[in-house]
Amino acid sequence: MSFRGPNASSGMGVDEHCKSTFTELQRKKVHRYVIFKIDEKKKEVVVEKTGSPSENYEDFTASLPENDCRYAVYDFDYVTAENCQKSKIFFIAWSPSVARIRPKMLYATSKDRFRRELDGIHYEIQATDPTEMDLDVLRERAN
Amino acid sequence: MAAHLTETYACVPATERGRGILISGDPKSNSILYTNGRSVIIRYLDRPLDVAVYVEHAYPATVARYSPNGEWIASADVSGMVRIWGTHNGFVLKNEFRVLSGRIDDLQWSPDGMRIVASGEGKGKSFVRAFMWDSGTNVGEFDGHSRRVLSCAFKPTRPFRIATCGEDFLVNFYEGPPFKFKLSHRDHSNFVNCIRFSPDGSKLISVSSDKRGILYDAKTGDMIGELSSEDGHKGSVYAVSWSPDSKQVLTVSADKSAKVWEISEDGKGKVKKTLTAPGSGGVDDMHVGCLWQNDHLVTVSLGGTISIFSASDLNKTPLSFSGHMKNVNSLAVVKKEKMILSSSYDGLIVKWIQGIGYCGKLERKVNAQIKCFAAVGEQIVTSSFDNMIWRVPLHEDQCGDGDCIDVGSQPKDLSIALLSPELVLVSIDAGIVLIRGTKVVSTINLGFPVTACTISPDGTEAIVGGQDGKLHVYSVNGDSLTEDAVLEKHRGTITVIRYSPDVSMFASADANREAVVWDRASREVKLKNMLYHTARINCLAWSPDSSMVATGSLDTCVIIYEINKPASSRITIKGAHLGGVYGLAFTDECSVVSSGEDACVRIWRITPQ
Repeated sequence: MSFRGPNASSGMGVDEHCKSTFTELQRKKVHRYVIFKIDEKKKEVVVEKTGSPSENYEDFTASLPENDCRYAVYDFDYVTAENCQKSKIFFIAWSPSVARIRPKMLYATSKDRFRRELDGIHYEIQATDPTEMDLDVLRERAN
Repeated sequence: MAAHLTETYACVPATERGRGILISGDPKSNSILYTNGRSVIIRYLDRPLDVAVYVEHAYPATVARYSPNGEWIASADVSGMVRIWGTHNGFVLKNEFRVLSGRIDDLQWSPDGMRIVASGEGKGKSFVRAFMWDSGTNVGEFDGHSRRVLSCAFKPTRPFRIATCGEDFLVNFYEGPPFKFKLSHRDHSNFVNCIRFSPDGSKLISVSSDKRGILYDAKTGDMIGELSSEDGHKGSVYAVSWSPDSKQVLTVSADKSAKVWEISEDGKGKVKKTLTAPGSGGVDDMHVGCLWQNDHLVTVSLGGTISIFSASDLNKTPLSFSGHMKNVNSLAVVKKEKMILSSSYDGLIVKWIQGIGYCGKLERKVNAQIKCFAAVGEQIVTSSFDNMIWRVPLHEDQCGDGDCIDVGSQPKDLSIALLSPELVLVSIDAGIVLIRGTKVVSTINLGFPVTACTISPDGTEAIVGGQDGKLHVYSVNGDSLTEDAVLEKHRGTITVIRYSPDVSMFASADANREAVVWDRASREVKLKNMLYHTARINCLAWSPDSSMVATGSLDTCVIIYEINKPASSRITIKGAHLGGVYGLAFTDECSVVSSGEDACVRIWRITPQ
């Protein structure tokens, strides 16, 4: 029997800072998005970048690397058919097909454990190329 | 920005040599109905550019008919399915039945619109079935035929009768409902191609490949007379249509003529007029289908030409138009005459003018099949499935004598240097061939399978794409090529490469659904993430001011991107052509013309929102 610690599949822990940054996004709305990265040396998921509420979706997609995987949380504001302002939090597992196998495997196995830490996510999207996390896709999921 | 359809240059009915086709129409809306491939096309005779297409069949559609009240259309296909859908309101499906186990050749509504009879091939068991339109329950047993039933007809007045005819030379008559066999006639000596009741319900006429037409009494089914053999048809008669007043019939035949007959009260027919549509006199002029609607006599020839004669003035020259019957795989825009040339793989090149429609077919001296096609200025260069490249000068309507050039193996792609048109680059299996004028100046074996090629308008640079997704840039000096760079970005075989009109950029697309725009001088990626297609990209076009790129794909969509905006702000035209978009070109800054597998050419207008 091996107690492998926090994450049974890949052994990645989750940094406390991640949870608190997410809570800030959720409660106090100080971030538009947060990007998380797996730091292999520390064997943890850490916060890589946060975006201010004034930034938009294009800035967010620009901050995601083209050939490496990431986790991201984005706060999506929209207006419903009944004309009320709503906001939904999206969890995006960014795993582009051009990335190498090792990061894809790492991020895929750690995702579950990491997601459980983030309480209050409305929708999850897995994106393997930029078209899959297009703004239209988010809009469709939200409605 | 959005795009909407402005014009459709419709395809023509799909024809087959040796068989007639059945077209139908609606006198109230003055429209005709026919099928091509999996689509049912509704064409309005007074608005030729306005075409409605129904694409919901899963198998090639064979015949379609309006219901007597004009509200529904029943269409049938080769798998034996009949679909009943509404004419207005977006073609809402009312019902779908599997009627026969084989192809359905003819379909008729009863005059009250409650019953439908369908006939065709049934693999030995059922060749004809009549059923209620809303529930599909059978309304009779139809035995008596042993071979394919080519046509069926429903008597338009009470008492209801159904007549069928087929390849077993028989004409069968059924009484009902519920329909039961009454009698059979074997007066014809060859396939009986078409059978029709007169609109007043008094007579029945059948026409056959034995060049005769026989008339019967509609109530009893007894033979009363026949079409006079004097001045009769000299070839198989494929179709017949009654005039609305039941006094005349129109027949069309393989002898390339259509005849109007006067039918006397006692059932004898005499030729009133023979109509021949102007044509080149070849096999393509054999007439295979006809329809008499209001004042119009519509005839369809084997080559797909639809001619409309006027019934009141039989001597007037008919209005003829045509189109493509098969996949239109390339398009070229000839700026000078504002003409669009479209070519299909069977060797047909058709000219269209925006706003007017069909302009004519390009008569070529050699009618070889066309694989790739390019037009510039006064010339057309085509390549076919043999090893030849044809270079044909274009004088107005006709092609002059062409020069043919042998390139050694089958050409895969073709490109003309727009500013110096005597330079043509052709890609063959493992290399490229440079042609200057009518001579092959060099054949270079590149060592990798070449799938796409293009040459810059001034002829100094060529880009060749391979099966591995790499783009090789060569500079052309005189008769040889020197490799300048290899660009890697694509993850699938390159399908098309095009220079922008201002030559500052080029765009390439691959079979893995991605398109990329590169800057020519620096060879850097200028616009990427053009990944929005869901199947291989077949064609690519630049707008004249080099600000927009359009890509067309097998997934039937056309996507238009703007160069200075990110790829996510794009205009998508979904369902542009059933079966895939194969040809694409810009006619001006805001109009795109596209063509595809459904043999139609469509023009879309892009409007800024």
